[in-house]
Amino acid sequence: MSSQCKTGLIFFPAFDWAISPTHPEREERLLYTRDQIFEEGLMDLPQIEEYKPRLAEEKDVARAHFCVPDVGSQVTEAHLIAAGSTLTLADALEKGEIRNGFALVRPPGHHSMRVVHGNRGFCNINNMAILVEYLRTKYGHKRIAVIDTDVHHGDGTQDIFWHDPDVLCLSFHQDGHTLYPGSGFVNEMGGPQALARTLNVPLPPGTTDEGIHYVLDNLILPILDEFKPDLILNSAGQDNHYTDPLANMRFSANGYARLNEKLAPDLCVLEGGYAVETALPYVNTGIIQAMAGLDYSHVKEPDYVPGRFVQTEGMVREIEHTVAQVQNIWEQRDELTKDALESLGDFYRRKRRVFYDTDMINENQEEVVRLCPDCAGYMTINTSAQRGYGILNSAFCVSIPRKACSSCRDDAKEEYAEHVDDKRIGYVLMQDKDKDKFKFYNNMTRTERGY
Amino acid sequence: MLIGIDVGGTTTDAVVVDGSKVVKTAYVPTDHDNLLKCLLLALDELVQGIDTGKIERVVLSTTLITNMIAEGKTDPVALVLIPGPGTNPRDYALGESIILDGAIDFRGKEIDRLKESQIKEAGASIRAQGLSRVAVVGKFCQRNHAHELKVCEILAAALPGAKIELGHKVSGQLNFPRRAATTMLTAATKDSYERFAKDVAAALKERNISAPVYILKADGGTLPLDKSVQMPVETIFSGPAASIMGVLALTEPGQSCVVVDIGGTTTDLALILSGKPLLSAKGARVGSLLTQVRAFAVKSVAIGGDSAVAVSSQGCDPDSESCAPGTKSCCGSLTVGPHRDGSPLCMGGNGPTPTDALRVLGLTQIGDAAKAEKAMQIVAQSLGCTAREAAQKVVDAVVDKIVFEVNEMFREWEQEPAYRIWEILKKEKLSAQSVVGVGGGAPPLVPLVAARLGAAAIVPEYAPVANAIGAAVARPTLTLNLHIDTEKGEFSVAEDGLMGRVTDQKMTPEDAERLARRLLAERAARLGIGEYAGEAEVTYSEVFNMIRGWSTVGRLMDVRMEIPAGLLPSWGRC
Repeated sequence: MSSQCKTGLIFFPAFDWAISPTHPEREERLLYTRDQIFEEGLMDLPQIEEYKPRLAEEKDVARAHFCVPDVGSQVTEAHLIAAGSTLTLADALEKGEIRNGFALVRPPGHHSMRVVHGNRGFCNINNMAILVEYLRTKYGHKRIAVIDTDVHHGDGTQDIFWHDPDVLCLSFHQDGHTLYPGSGFVNEMGGPQALARTLNVPLPPGTTDEGIHYVLDNLILPILDEFKPDLILNSAGQDNHYTDPLANMRFSANGYARLNEKLAPDLCVLEGGYAVETALPYVNTGIIQAMAGLDYSHVKEPDYVPGRFVQTEGMVREIEHTVAQVQNIWEQRDELTKDALESLGDFYRRKRRVFYDTDMINENQEEVVRLCPDCAGYMTINTSAQRGYGILNSAFCVSIPRKACSSCRDDAKEEYAEHVDDKRIGYVLMQDKDKDKFKFYNNMTRTERGY
Repeated sequence: MLIGIDVGGTTTDAVVVDGSKVVKTAYVPTDHDNLLKCLLLALDELVQGIDTGKIERVVLSTTLITNMIAEGKTDPVALVLIPGPGTNPRDYALGESIILDGAIDFRGKEIDRLKESQIKEAGASIRAQGLSRVAVVGKFCQRNHAHELKVCEILAAALPGAKIELGHKVSGQLNFPRRAATTMLTAATKDSYERFAKDVAAALKERNISAPVYILKADGGTLPLDKSVQMPVETIFSGPAASIMGVLALTEPGQSCVVVDIGGTTTDLALILSGKPLLSAKGARVGSLLTQVRAFAVKSVAIGGDSAVAVSSQGCDPDSESCAPGTKSCCGSLTVGPHRDGSPLCMGGNGPTPTDALRVLGLTQIGDAAKAEKAMQIVAQSLGCTAREAAQKVVDAVVDKIVFEVNEMFREWEQEPAYRIWEILKKEKLSAQSVVGVGGGAPPLVPLVAARLGAAAIVPEYAPVANAIGAAVARPTLTLNLHIDTEKGEFSVAEDGLMGRVTDQKMTPEDAERLARRLLAERAARLGIGEYAGEAEVTYSEVFNMIRGWSTVGRLMDVRMEIPAGLLPSWGRC
């Protein structure tokens, strides 16, 4: 079998890592998945090539995140291996060793935002965002589409690419009124320079295979046709499953497999999914088979019968309505961007609070982006965060975009210099995506580190 | 005194070992149509003048099963699968099979019932095909044997006299298609193997040799001949295993080395890492079938002393795929192998071979010097160089190929997937300290390969009979995989399908290891190797707390214990 036909697979269940012994994100999570895919003998099939994971470098993380105070204090080896697995598959894909790949790894990442003070929604660093930045820096890809198929809104990935018109972030999920993280509404559609490159499709609890495939066929696939990305990536959460203990959807293993067959992602990265016995073994087997072009019709949960779940007339109409709304936003993307930029001055600002549910951290941040006519514009983020009644950690972050104009580059460097040794701020961080250089300055010890 | 006999592809080698001394060696050409005969010929030659009463142990390694499978002379088997949900069983390259309804899941729960009428139909169709050997294999049958046992019962009634092999008795490792293949091969070779074992026993009795007889397995361990009939497939590839055990016996302990066995048309490569022969990760490949047979990782490379040397008249494109390092030496479009056109020219053959090249370079004294020169002149003419230069290029091509494959083996070992953080962080980088040559073609080439790998070259004194020495001094091996589910209060042993109850919900990993050790000792005793049970070590242990809601409902524990490949204590290494 020629390598162009192979599906790359990295299985890293992190059997020695857990958030806490009884937490859903624990050692046991992929145990039965391991049993199932090993017993299936999937790794022996000529269509599948198994790869060994590697550790991501701290620099790979810094390309996507401002970790406060630095990368080393926010990640464990497990995080670096999960992120590194996606990069190993990216390399294999780019070398032509595989035609697509699935990083079946934990811990997950899609709730991690650009600034990282701790763990949010079981995630410390965003594997998918690290992968996207790596693909762009190392292989020069321009347009990438990230489709988030987890039941929870992919708010971290959305945040990281909020201002980026070249990364389409489309997330469908259970309506934020009824589920963590409480966001992902239709009106969240990206920064002024990238409007409608963030798209959200909230779905009513109880949505079935039928509903999700309606969204796929009528919204996602047509948009991808028009966006024409170099690569399609799937943030493949498995918690839309009808047995998931943390959500309320009614998606089946067959539905997931069919979704991946139709979406045909270049790379899949596992996100959530906590029905460790009743869903994950079957969903993962189905996704691997669909990606490898194998027959997945024999994958079936023991208690599943086709036609078991039926959407009410009201749900069907609600989904159709949401799809129409998002379709409308997408079609008006150029006008929306034009209007937004005309109404704003030289800078765009947003202030917000971010809550880290796992680590009980409250963060306040102010983000400022220069609306530059010559480049994507540099960005600064002033952030402070407190864990319970503990110490307040603060940082000033500066980001220089790819292909930055000289004026943005100079201003960004000036912002960095101005905040160095400012005693009101703990750390000053510089992310130079154009030169792929990263700096961390500690205002208390007056030391600088960089990659 | 210990006797080791290796019935190999071309010769049958035999040795008598006393303590750490090789007392006597013998060899006869292998007759593939009568393996027993050449085995006995070698034995008779060997024991001449030796007091057979002093023989303590006889170990055989034989190509019997390997040949049967390679030549397609195995018995026909009906394969009956109970695949349950998952992969379409037609996607496995297992050939014809009968698919039954019914399913067991990863926890050993029945998730779909068997259909009795369907099993009866299967029995009728097997009978209609005239088959009397059946392999029955269910997915996750190692976690719950009920379905396999029930199918066996119904088929046995429908097929009087049929021999039925069950998957859970063959292997308990996760991997349904490999288990199916291994079970099928077991059923297909058992009868012939049993006959062979009986004949050997009878022949030894005739010769008044009453010492226990063992067979060497693919993992370098020995097993009493009479017990080995339960697992004939384990004896495949015992030849390479014998050579590797021989190298272990003939070199310093604890070394990392490459074992190079250079033959006429193939070179077998194996790795010994920190004194332990490397096993193939999931089991041996037997022909087109992937199995769960524990076997040393042996790589066969199609190059050897008799490989045909050819020079293509076409210009060479160094960028073309055929010029990838290791596949061909392409500088001047020279190719060595993979086929053989006959003997080397210097030994009366027709065309140039690496042996001729070695002769010209003075690296071997085999064959006629003038003919070797002539052989290299043929090559030289096409390449536009001198005969000596041509010889050097041929030898370089052979060494290149072997070095490339050795490096690949190390790379593959380093790239073996890992599923735990510590495994990924800990895996050390190893390189060969020495290159050890066995087999006839090794002496002239091993120093060249070793130099390229920056390792010491070792060609042991007894290199030509290293295989027989390996067989003579190998100790038994044994593996036991124990799976415990405290929520269900059950344990199961993968290797022999034993199941039992555990009552302690709060069982600790130490308790699990104690249980494994006891079960291993019992299993060793049943297999007649009880005295080695003390050598067993825990090679794998995992514990998972099962959390439902926010509380622990039980533990899943897996322990693997092994008596690894090793040498008898009586063998003091030289």
